[in-house]
Amino acid sequence: MTDDASVVRAHAASVLEAGATLRSSTLEARAQWLADSAATLMKDAHDRRDALSEATGLSVPMVEWATRTTLDTIREDSMLALARTVRRGTDRDLDPVTMLSVILAGNVFTASVRGIVIPLLLGVPVLVKASSGETVFPALLRDALRSASTQLGAAMNVVAFSGGDVECEAALVESAEVVSVYGSDETVAAVAARIGDTPLVAHGHGVSVAYCGAHALDEAHIGNTIESLSLDICAYDQRGCLSPQLIYVEQSPHRSAADFAERLSEEGLGPMGSTLPRGTLPVSVGAAQAQWRGIAEVEGTLLRGNTHAVSIREREPIRWSPAYRNVTIAPVRGVDEALRAMQAIGPHLKCVGTDTGSLSEVEARLADSSPLSAYTCPIGEMQTPPLDAPADGHPIWHALLRN
Amino acid sequence: MTTRGELKARIEGLITGFEAGQQVDAAARDELIEDLATWQAKRIPEYGRLQRHGAWPPALPTDVFRFRRIAAHPKEDDLRVFRSSGTTSSERSVHAYGDLDLYDVAARAAARYMLFPDVEKMVLVILAPHEHEAPDSSLEYMLARFAEWFGTQCTWVWRDGALDLGLLTEHLHQAEASEEAVAVLGTSFAFVHAEDGLGARRFELAPGSRVMQTGGYKGRSREVNPEVLLASISARFGVGAPRIINEFGATELSSQMYETTLREDIDGPMGPRRLWVPPWVRATPVDPDTLQPVHGETVGILRIDDAANLDSVCCIQTADLARRLDDGIVVLGRAPGASPRGCSLAADQALGAQ
Repeated sequence: MTDDASVVRAHAASVLEAGATLRSSTLEARAQWLADSAATLMKDAHDRRDALSEATGLSVPMVEWATRTTLDTIREDSMLALARTVRRGTDRDLDPVTMLSVILAGNVFTASVRGIVIPLLLGVPVLVKASSGETVFPALLRDALRSASTQLGAAMNVVAFSGGDVECEAALVESAEVVSVYGSDETVAAVAARIGDTPLVAHGHGVSVAYCGAHALDEAHIGNTIESLSLDICAYDQRGCLSPQLIYVEQSPHRSAADFAERLSEEGLGPMGSTLPRGTLPVSVGAAQAQWRGIAEVEGTLLRGNTHAVSIREREPIRWSPAYRNVTIAPVRGVDEALRAMQAIGPHLKCVGTDTGSLSEVEARLADSSPLSAYTCPIGEMQTPPLDAPADGHPIWHALLRN
Repeated sequence: MTTRGELKARIEGLITGFEAGQQVDAAARDELIEDLATWQAKRIPEYGRLQRHGAWPPALPTDVFRFRRIAAHPKEDDLRVFRSSGTTSSERSVHAYGDLDLYDVAARAAARYMLFPDVEKMVLVILAPHEHEAPDSSLEYMLARFAEWFGTQCTWVWRDGALDLGLLTEHLHQAEASEEAVAVLGTSFAFVHAEDGLGARRFELAPGSRVMQTGGYKGRSREVNPEVLLASISARFGVGAPRIINEFGATELSSQMYETTLREDIDGPMGPRRLWVPPWVRATPVDPDTLQPVHGETVGILRIDDAANLDSVCCIQTADLARRLDDGIVVLGRAPGASPRGCSLAADQALGAQ
């Protein structure tokens, strides 16, 4: 599916026009329609799981997991709770922007859900440019919205064109009051340079890490720690910006980093390779994987599984993995050392997952750390952010309201 | 215990035997690579850390050459150090040689067999810097040796960091007038710049002329589809496509591979364009997960076991994608995301391209 500029412009006009009707509906009605859409989408995505697997490169069980965990957050109560949070701090009615254009990336197919549902909830119509490699899910979402409500369905549409098509891009953004871009820093910079004064919400390159305190590794907790981290690593085959690439592990006299890594590999990532199998490894990523694994072996220790690898090495220098379930364990003396290491990542750090015992300390320390704006959450939940989780250091409704 | 001298003699014997027309026994080569890898693993700690998977010794990723000195000899014994192109030290692979004998033997034997199989010596025109201008480039070193081994006369048309189009034109016109065959050798980027700079000037080089181009595009300058470049070079220099061949080399390697069409155009029969692998080298597309050879013509990542790499590591895992074709291989290029580097980039940087 590829649209030309006239089609993009026509869709933009009709979505913009539908905004007035959308805004005339009540927030409660919109929450109800969106929850109904999520239920429909859950069923439709299940029916199209093979097509989604092919389009995303994820295995069918992973597609099903991703769909379920994402759409489970689109409930009437959670949306109304979010709306209450948004309203807090203002006694005026919400003043949504007239239209949002969204440019999606292809790495995490469900990332579109929060980026589309929340604007619609707040009364903002949305025109979506699907990733060139993945148009199936956005189209299913659009169809689900239409089936829930004609008002809602008219306020969202999907277009597709090649990245860098300047004419289509201009048609996509010229009616928008705000543009939201998911993708590499290069993509974000290229779009920013072309849209002039239109406000841009950038979701550029990002990486995430995890921290595990010593108590998370004791015999009482290690099983849960391994299970949670394995899910965070395997979800979306580690391709998302919320996927942990590095796990800082507090050294403990009772559990060495090497012992922990071995158990993570054998008891966590290995079995998860069967329950949530990795998708097909693109050979180009495989080339990077072979280089990364070799360096990991030269500079530390590498544990290889069938479809994963765990590197144990000093925290510096950071060697970013090619994703696809290649993760680094870096032993540290404690939170201080882990946070010092995170400073080097700067604003690219999107999320820090921690064991529950360390959560409040890490959260507080990150809040005091000006170069870092990472979101903190318990391990096991890194890839399933709640509806109201912040994104890139901003509330999820950032730039969608004028007041 | 195997000594370095014994290994060197075995490698040299294999290559010179091939040069003398002897059949190289693949089993003997494999055994040599095995012994060599064992010797290297004991002397190079980085290599000794790699675990073996499958029947062959482990292969060291090329990226390790960017971060670590990979040499079986101490630094003070370095005779020559080659570096890949790049702007920062972490982007440049470093390959230190304490002894260039095997490099020379391998380079001469491969070029003699694939690039100059029909002539002792001929006129060379080189679209690359002289080795004095780029002393740490293995390509420039090799081209300088070619001038000694295969050149009746040799002109470097790259001077003071720029491609001298006037000098190139002058020498090609001379070759046309004398009807003497010429070998034009250079980086792919240099040929692109020649193409861009020569305008309407075209040449009709004498029969027997040939072109060797090397290096990829590195994403650092105007990128030209290899087939388009091949057609452009053919039209520009008046040399038939079979006589225009690619050389595949790398800083981390001591041996080179050449496309087959020139040799087959001379000797026949003509097969598909593919890279010839010297018989002292194993070039194998492998599966990225298992690192084991892929089946048939499946695309894999290219592992090269180069017996001429005596004082570093002979088993190398590149980031290039490749597949087998007949008795050779086809390199499909560097995987997106892998660090761009290579001989061709030095020339491009010298031209100020961004």
